[in-house]
Amino acid sequence: MISDRLKTTILNHLDLEDYDIQDETKANTVPGWDSLSHANVILSIEKEYGVRFKSIEILKCKNIGDLQKLIDSKTK
Amino acid sequence: MPQIDLNLLLEVFKYNAKDPLQSITITFLFIFTGFLFIYQFISSNITFKRIALIVFSFFFYYKAAGEFLGLLILTALISWVIGNQVRKYESLNIKRLLVFAGVILNLGALGYFKYTNFIIDAYNKIASAEVAALDIIQPLGISFFVFKALSYIFDNYYEYLEEKVSVQDFLLYMSFFPSILAGPIDRTGEFVPQIKRTEPLTQAEMGVAVGFLISGLVKKVLISDYISLNYLDRVFQDPLRYTGAENVIASYGYAIRIYCDFSGYTDIALGLALLLGFRLMDNFNAPYQAVSVADFWRRWHISLSSWLQTYLFAPMQMSLRNLKIYGNAIAVLVTFGLCGLWHGANYNFIIWGALHGLFMAVSLLTAGVRKSLIKKTGLEGKPVLKFIRIFITFHLVTIAWVFFATETPQHALDVFSQIFGYLQPEVFGQFITEGYPTVFVLIILGFVIAFFPQSKSDFYKTWLGKMPLPLQALVLAVFIYLAAQVQFADMVPFIYFKF
Repeated sequence: MISDRLKTTILNHLDLEDYDIQDETKANTVPGWDSLSHANVILSIEKEYGVRFKSIEILKCKNIGDLQKLIDSKTK
Repeated sequence: MPQIDLNLLLEVFKYNAKDPLQSITITFLFIFTGFLFIYQFISSNITFKRIALIVFSFFFYYKAAGEFLGLLILTALISWVIGNQVRKYESLNIKRLLVFAGVILNLGALGYFKYTNFIIDAYNKIASAEVAALDIIQPLGISFFVFKALSYIFDNYYEYLEEKVSVQDFLLYMSFFPSILAGPIDRTGEFVPQIKRTEPLTQAEMGVAVGFLISGLVKKVLISDYISLNYLDRVFQDPLRYTGAENVIASYGYAIRIYCDFSGYTDIALGLALLLGFRLMDNFNAPYQAVSVADFWRRWHISLSSWLQTYLFAPMQMSLRNLKIYGNAIAVLVTFGLCGLWHGANYNFIIWGALHGLFMAVSLLTAGVRKSLIKKTGLEGKPVLKFIRIFITFHLVTIAWVFFATETPQHALDVFSQIFGYLQPEVFGQFITEGYPTVFVLIILGFVIAFFPQSKSDFYKTWLGKMPLPLQALVLAVFIYLAAQVQFADMVPFIYFKF
């Protein structure tokens, strides 16, 4: 389940009013979230939660649900 | 009773360095048709199917590249073992060490066969030395199969693969003959599950396969080969002998030629694979309709660009993310410099890749300025903006292709100096009416294909899918016959074979 905080961070960064983000949603299906903007979206998330991910942890994420789990594991 | 010369028959199964097998020759078509006939009867049994495909693929690669079949098998086995070890170990350090070993071995082989003499030549130039070039022959398709092998190791490292792959399935993935020589560079996770498919092709799927083969023949044999042999090759060998107008037509013609050549070859590979029940990765998606250079790379040679994006650009971008937009720009420049080098040990390929990297880096760094400019002019969301973007992107890509088309940087600069210094616009008319009317018509046909509305571009595959199978076969036979008529005495080698 994607938290409101993560969803808001993503939407704010991409300048989107609203977009349906589910566990299975792939990053590249969200408007504006492409391979070039990917690192900046991740940076915004890291800033919001005050965490730092390892590159491999991010690269392993297959969808936004995986990203949520990664954040949860860092903020417990 | 007619005597059959057994030696002659055996020749068909032996490698002949002077006449390597290619997938778009009449000889291949005969052998493939024979194989397909047997395949129909055995493909419902997965074990027989797997064995038949591996044996035929090994045979095909042996006929195309001779003893390098050993290298292909060795690369496959070593990468399979390393990939599985990466999967097995828990420790990230051990995983990294194994990945490092896999990368060194694979890129070492690629580097040795492809770049040794280039490095010697560069060293000789820099150090004014006279080191003799080595007698190295580049194995066909090595750039493609090494990248496939590496993707298996990386997929295990990033845990992209759900199941472990058996050695037989991996050998088939690595050697699968429709894509062994020039891609698409498939991924194990997408290819291997298809081996288990046993149901026969539907009539509609057959139509798609036949459609791929026909479009491949038209693009590759009719358009690409004809305009290269009859016009483009002559201009690019010595641009100074031709007027600027002829160099302009050659530059546009080359953009069409390389698209028709490579996407045509890919279509044939996709068609052959589909006849065997495999859907390979798409490689082209109307690339010249791209609205930016970054978009072009999401549509051109997709199996390579997505490989580079997943395994090179993304990890680099992630490690450089603190540099923000500059980290992105560096990652783009490095990725495309290496993309150029992958295409061949030649300065022009490196310049071509670097130009694409530069276009994208500039685009990234100016994104904000361009966005506000578009807002100010009120063009946002208007069709004319899309047209302008496609127009600019196509021309940037076409300018970069001039380096791809020519042998040396000087040749490429000669093309531009003729265009800007000796245009002779009256030659355009003469070219069309007197000089090369057929070449002109074929270039226009290429443009129509490249810019055909995407939503309607598969219409002929749907038509074919509605035809009964014998009629589909007849249509295909007619196109093969026509292609054979158009072909010159010898087949023109496919551009991407040498990469």
